[in-house]
Order: sequence, then C-alpha cells, then structure tokens
Amino acid sequence: MKINLDEIFDYTSFNVDRDPHIKLDEQICKSCDQRSCVNCCPAACYSWDEENLKITFVHDGCLECGTCYVICGKDAFTRWRYPRGGFGVSYRMT
Amino acid sequence: MKRTFDAIVVGAGPAGSSAALTMVKAGLSVALLERGNFPGEKNMFGGVLHRLTALEEYFPNFWEQAPWERHIVKKNLSFITPGSSFTVSFDNEAADTPPYNGYTIFRPKFDNWLAQEAVKAGATLLTRSTVDDVIRENGKIVGVTLLRDGAELRAPVVIAADGVLSFTAKKAGLRQAKFSTAQQGVCIKALIDMPKEVIDDRFGLVREQGASSEIVGNSSGIRGGTFIYTNYDSLSLGMVLELGSLEKTDQTPYGLLNNLMDQPQIAKLLRGGKLLEYSAHLVPKGGYSMIPELVGDGIMVAGDAAAFCIITGLNLEGINLASQSGVLAGKAAIEAHQQQDFSKQGLAHYRKSLEESFVLKDMKMYRRTPQMLHNDRIFSQYPELVCGVMDEIYRIDGKPKETMTKLLLRKVKETVGLKNLLADVYGGWRAL
Ligand SMILES: Cc1cc2nc3c(=O)[nH]c(=O)nc-3n(C[C@H](O)[C@H](O)[C@H](O)COP(=O)(O)OP(=O)(O)OC[C@H]3O[C@@H](n4cnc5c(N)ncnc54)[C@H](O)[C@@H]3O)c2cc1C
Ligand code: SF4
Ligand code: SF4
Repeated sequence: MKINLDEIFDYTSFNVDRDPHIKLDEQICKSCDQRSCVNCCPAACYSWDEENLKITFVHDGCLECGTCYVICGKDAFTRWRYPRGGFGVSYRMT
Repeated sequence: MKRTFDAIVVGAGPAGSSAALTMVKAGLSVALLERGNFPGEKNMFGGVLHRLTALEEYFPNFWEQAPWERHIVKKNLSFITPGSSFTVSFDNEAADTPPYNGYTIFRPKFDNWLAQEAVKAGATLLTRSTVDDVIRENGKIVGVTLLRDGAELRAPVVIAADGVLSFTAKKAGLRQAKFSTAQQGVCIKALIDMPKEVIDDRFGLVREQGASSEIVGNSSGIRGGTFIYTNYDSLSLGMVLELGSLEKTDQTPYGLLNNLMDQPQIAKLLRGGKLLEYSAHLVPKGGYSMIPELVGDGIMVAGDAAAFCIITGLNLEGINLASQSGVLAGKAAIEAHQQQDFSKQGLAHYRKSLEESFVLKDMKMYRRTPQMLHNDRIFSQYPELVCGVMDEIYRIDGKPKETMTKLLLRKVKETVGLKNLLADVYGGWRAL
C-alpha cells in the first residue's frame, strides 16, 4: 500500500471552487530560498518549476490543513482563507 | 441576510457544539455557524475520543447515544527502528465496561451527531457558512460577517470555536497573527479498509474492543510520532510531525508515511489493507505557553482555537478539552446574559472556571512537555537504544554474554550518551 497523491481524487472527495481560496504573490516566492511549502504541504499543492524558476500552486486537492499558512516565513499570500461555504475538501469517514 | 441571536458560535466542532448545547438548554437563542456542508465534513483527527465528562450531564448514557467505532481497552507504546520494534502493551479489563474511557470515532459522523443534538435542543445551525470577519462596535465584538454576499449575524457574545487557525480570534485581536512552526504539528492520516475479524486477530481484540498504538521512531529523525487506531472495520494510520522540524528537511509527510508503511512490523499489521481516505490537519502542540487571550469584549475562545491540546507522546488529548471549554464558555455566556454584561470583565468568569477545571490545570501540569519533546534524541536515538538492547539480550550467536550493566552502558554510549540520558530522564520526569 502506498499513498500516491496523483490519485488523491480517487480516495478523498472535493467540491472544487473555481475561485481559489489561496493566492500567492509570485514575486515574493521568486525571492524565496526556503520554499518549505513544497515539501511540507501534505497534498503536494506546491511545486518548484526549476526551468522557469517559479512556484506553481494548484488549489484543487488542498486539504485545508493550514500548513502552508504557518510555514511560509514571507507571508506570500495575497489571500489565505478557508473556501466559501460548501466548497473544498469533503471527508466522508476519517 | 441580517439576523440577531443571543449568542453566536463560530465552528460546529466539539467545542462549538458543546457551547451551543449548553446555551440553548438554558434558553438562549444560538446561531451555530459551520463552513462545511455538514458539521464534521472538514474535520479529521487520530483518533481516540476520550471520555467527555463535560457532556455527561446531557448524555448520561453517552455510549448508547453517540456514534462510535470501538471502545479502547488496549494501549500500546512502541519504539521502532527500520527493522525492529519494542512494544509495551496495557490491556485493561476495567476499560471494557461503560462508562468507557475512550472510543475511536469518525469525525464526519460524530461532529454531525453532536451538532444535531444542539439543533434538537433549539440551536440554529447554519452550514456552508464560512465566517469572514467580526463586527466591531465601540471596541466590542457584536457579531460576524459571512463569506457569502454580505450576510451579517449579530449577538452580544461570540464564541470562537473555529479550530486551530482561528481566524475569528485573530481578527478579534486575541491571538497573534501566526504561531511559530515549532508550535504546530501537521498530521496526516490514511484510513485503511480491513475486515473486522482480521483487526480482532491482529490486535488481540474481541467484540467491539479497540486498541490504540503510539509509535516512536523511524521518522527520519523528524520530531513526531505515529499512531494506529482500530475502527470497527478499518484502521487509522497517521503521523504527527512538528512543522519546525519538518521544514528543515526535504522530506514530505506522505513520503514519511509511505516509508513507515514499509517498515516490516508495521507492514505486517497493514497487510491486505486498502486505502479508503487520506486527510490532513494541523494540531496545536505548543502547550500552555501558546494559549492566547481567552476573553475580549463580547468574545470568548474555546477548543483548538485556544490551543487546548495536550500531546505527551503517550496520549493526545484535544476533544475532551475542546468540549469542556465549550461548555464553560457557554455557561459564562449564560451568566453574562443574566448580568447583561458582555464586556471583558463580564465574561472573565470563563477564564476562572477554566482554571478551576482540568482544562487549564492539565495544560499547566504538562507545560514542560512541549520543551521535552523538542529533544531530537527521543525520535531516533532512544528507539535505537531500546531495540538495540533487546536485540542483544535475545541474540544467541555463540559469544559469551555481557553483564546487563555492561551491555546497557555500552549501548547508551553508542547511542545517546550517558550525560544526555541522565539529563533526559530528569527532564522527562519533570515534564510528565
Ligand atoms: C491527527 C490528529 C490527531 C488527533 N488525535 C486526537 C485524539 O486522539 N484524541 C483527542 O482527543 N484529540 C485529538 N486531536 C485533537 C482534536 O482533533 C482537536 O483538539 C479537536 O478537534 C478540537 O475541537 P474544536 O471544536 O476546538 O476544533 P475543530 O474540531 O477543528 O472544529 C472547528 C470547526 O470550525 C469550523 N470552522 C473553522 N473556521 C470556520 C469559519 N471561518 N467559519 C465557519 N466555520 C469554521 C471547522 O469546519 C470545524 O468544524 C487530534 C488532532 C489531529 C489533527
Ligand atoms: S509560499 Fe512562502 S515558502 Fe513557499 S515559495 Fe512562496 S514565499 Fe517561499
Ligand atoms: S492548506 Fe495544507 S493542503 Fe492546502 S495548500 Fe496549504 S499546506 Fe497544502
């Protein structure tokens, strides 16, 4: 058994809002040499694009855990809030 | 939408629903606001629901009323290395009869049940309602706005029970913008499908008995722990990882959990299981020194929002503290209504009653534990020490044996070092 986050939508349910609940200021991320969001996010929503030297963030599989909010030392968020009511992750059991 | 209530509770988790239930029972009109489609939809935990003494007044036969999976009779503590494990197990007959000491539960079921009980007693539950901000008038909190076309709810008292990040308490100016990464842990969990009989056999259980296992080690030296809890026909396997420790590495939470699932002793327990759900959440692990201002003009903070969580490595307590603090905040709101005084002074009773209850007494008693758990040796060298000693005690290889004292001293020197060991024993003794 393995957790493969490429398949996260097979086992965890989401009702994805088109309007992202987290938005980044790319300029701030560009100058960040820590990028802890990349390895700490438990849903792998952040990735570092080595070629274009920028952070890619996808909110679709966000588990709304708050890790990136706490871990980012530069407050790179122009928005960090929970999704609008009814949107986002939807646990069935857990 | 504009509506007025006697009290507003933000968040329908255990803290919020306990507060709402307490207030409606006393006749107050209460709005219970939850951002999920239903209470519990957004919530995950390990987890073992410890006995909720705070709610026994309302649910005298709790175990017949609440939805739970198994009641815990067996507590295991293991130290593991990549290839071995050492476990102590406490199997307790006294925990096999009601009122049970603890249960495994599913949050989407349990939280929903508790919130619906508050609704039955008269609370107005508004789901899909993400609170956006507090409304302030003359310096006092007098309501909240929702992240939904300018909806506004008003009440002379607001209880922030919106969990670990508590934007409500933050916006009311009661807690700092952000807690440090050393004060927060990220938890991930895999829910694993497994037939009931297989769980019974592997964990030595019968009927609806359950086991909880806390596991230290094999986390690549990152401060954290692993847990396995038995549900009725599934296992909860998860890790709690200190963010301050994780951020210094390039390890990922799921990578660490995958690694752990391959550890031979763990793999045996999980064999044949199928992943059902994957979830993640933060846990406030800073302890007593992390507690924010609990009371402001027109507002109180309860549960995770107030950092009421005790993590010792042997146990994780949160829901019981959340529920108790919710009840006490509810009672303080009732009294404020009687006195018609919702100022910080009028609500100060909340803090006092917390101090008299196990919530702040236990938080205070365990105030040194977070510091003790900042000791990296616990998470790699001690498991190595324990398993290494056991390995040599049992090994038959044709060589003469050392005396126990010699063996212990040598192993201590190889791993932690004698001076560190003595310091840690003293530190651990004080912290626990
Ligand atoms: C992995 C893990 C394992 C744990 N194990 C255990 C255990 O074994 N035993 C134990 O007792 N405790 C455990 N805990 C701790 C326990 O889960 C928490 O202490 C407890 O859930 C706190 O309850 P609460 O009501 O304060 O907050 P929460 O349960 O977080 O509830 C907050 C509620 O508020 C809602 N909300 C948040 N923001 C808003 C908003 N802006 N508007 C509207 N609604 C909002 C959320 O959706 C949620 O329903 C564990 C925690 C984790 C993460
Ligand atoms: S989100 Fe924060 S931690 Fe991540 S790259 Fe941007 S600035 Fe750095
Ligand atoms: S909230 Fe958690 S899951 Fe969502 S992007 Fe941030 S770290 Fe990842």
